Amino acid sequence: MAQLKCIVVTPEATALETTADFVALPLFDGEIGIAPSHSPMIGRLGYGEMRIVSGGTTTRYYVDGGFVQVANNEVNVLTGKAVPAQEVSKVDAEQQLQAAMKQPTSSDELLAIRDRMVDQARAQIRVSQN
Amino acid sequence: MANPRALDKRRKSVRNIRKITRTMELIATARYKQAMDRAAAATAYTDRITQIVKDLTASSLDFTHPLLEEHDSKENATLLVLTSNRGLCGGYNGGLCRATFPHVVDLKSEYGKLNLEIAGKKGIGLFRSQRKLEADETFTHFEDKPRYDEVEVIANRYLTQFVAGKLDRLDVSYTKFVSSSKQIPVIETLLPLGSLDGVGDDEAAAESMYEFFPSAQSILEEVVPTSFKVKLFKCFLDAAVSEQIARMVAMKSATENASDLIKQLSREYNRARQGRITNEIMEIIGGVEALNN
Repeated sequence: MAQLKCIVVTPEATALETTADFVALPLFDGEIGIAPSHSPMIGRLGYGEMRIVSGGTTTRYYVDGGFVQVANNEVNVLTGKAVPAQEVSKVDAEQQLQAAMKQPTSSDELLAIRDRMVDQARAQIRVSQN
Repeated sequence: MANPRALDKRRKSVRNIRKITRTMELIATARYKQAMDRAAAATAYTDRITQIVKDLTASSLDFTHPLLEEHDSKENATLLVLTSNRGLCGGYNGGLCRATFPHVVDLKSEYGKLNLEIAGKKGIGLFRSQRKLEADETFTHFEDKPRYDEVEVIANRYLTQFVAGKLDRLDVSYTKFVSSSKQIPVIETLLPLGSLDGVGDDEAAAESMYEFFPSAQSILEEVVPTSFKVKLFKCFLDAAVSEQIARMVAMKSATENASDLIKQLSREYNRARQGRITNEIMEIIGGVEALNN
């Protein structure tokens, strides 16, 4: 069976370059699963867990927004941060959530910023719990 | 007559200095290689962003975004100057600041209020001592490896200011890395972005084969801020690489200078020593002759 080529790049480095049988990614509104021969797409990523299944083993990462581009059995993930799931700290994330909750929400922009921080923190907590 | 012992002492101290400058040169070389790798890694990201923009253009999208448009008002401008925290890097900081000073004057006359932000202790010092300019905001936590999340904080602040209309123009002054033998101080306007790389390429004219989640427009809204952040990050990386190269070159010439000086001092020392021996022999011969008479 054909395999997917999965490349994860952050502005600092190419975090991961591997082949996979299946990739699950957090899109902005829910999870998407990508198997080989997926139709070409570009999607916006949300905050959450990325799973890469390769030969029966699953590696989990936390991705921090960005984009995904799928074409010719190649999955390109562009994200601000890609951290292995076991390195995500629940304590830090909870602190971030607390801090985010205290942000002012007096205008639409501030509300959007707060929502983003809350989403980010909650996603990190979720990833660290699994 | 020069004192051989004093000359020898000087030679020893120059030798010690040469040891230090050579070590610093080696350290700068190692750091430069690391910084270079990081810059190359960032290029992988920018290339892919450009690719996405190209694919977006193919879907015959109307390219408008608040960050791409110039503001009508000319009230607030920000100038960010990227210098180094440490010295001993030749003309790196001096050259950059000299190139920036006229631009500060221009911006001040053009815009109502200029916000001067300087990264790096040396730049802060130079602006203060040469132009009596105090920075409105300073950053000294960027070392030779600027991290993306640190830069992102600054980038996010600019983005919110620009969208809220509190910032009309953002210029960044930094040393651009052209090649390993050429780095030039440049001033770039990062906000408004003007245009995105990859827009309007002829190759992309074909119908897009991609499906967009949620829509091309929504992805564009996200791509534009991201490409701004990456651009700013690239400026920091370029500055870091250029700093290491400048230090490497400065330390290399310092080492060479020390070697020359040692050579010259050795010659003088040997001559003085020879002169003293000749003198002693002459005295002895004189003495012997006097005894014979």
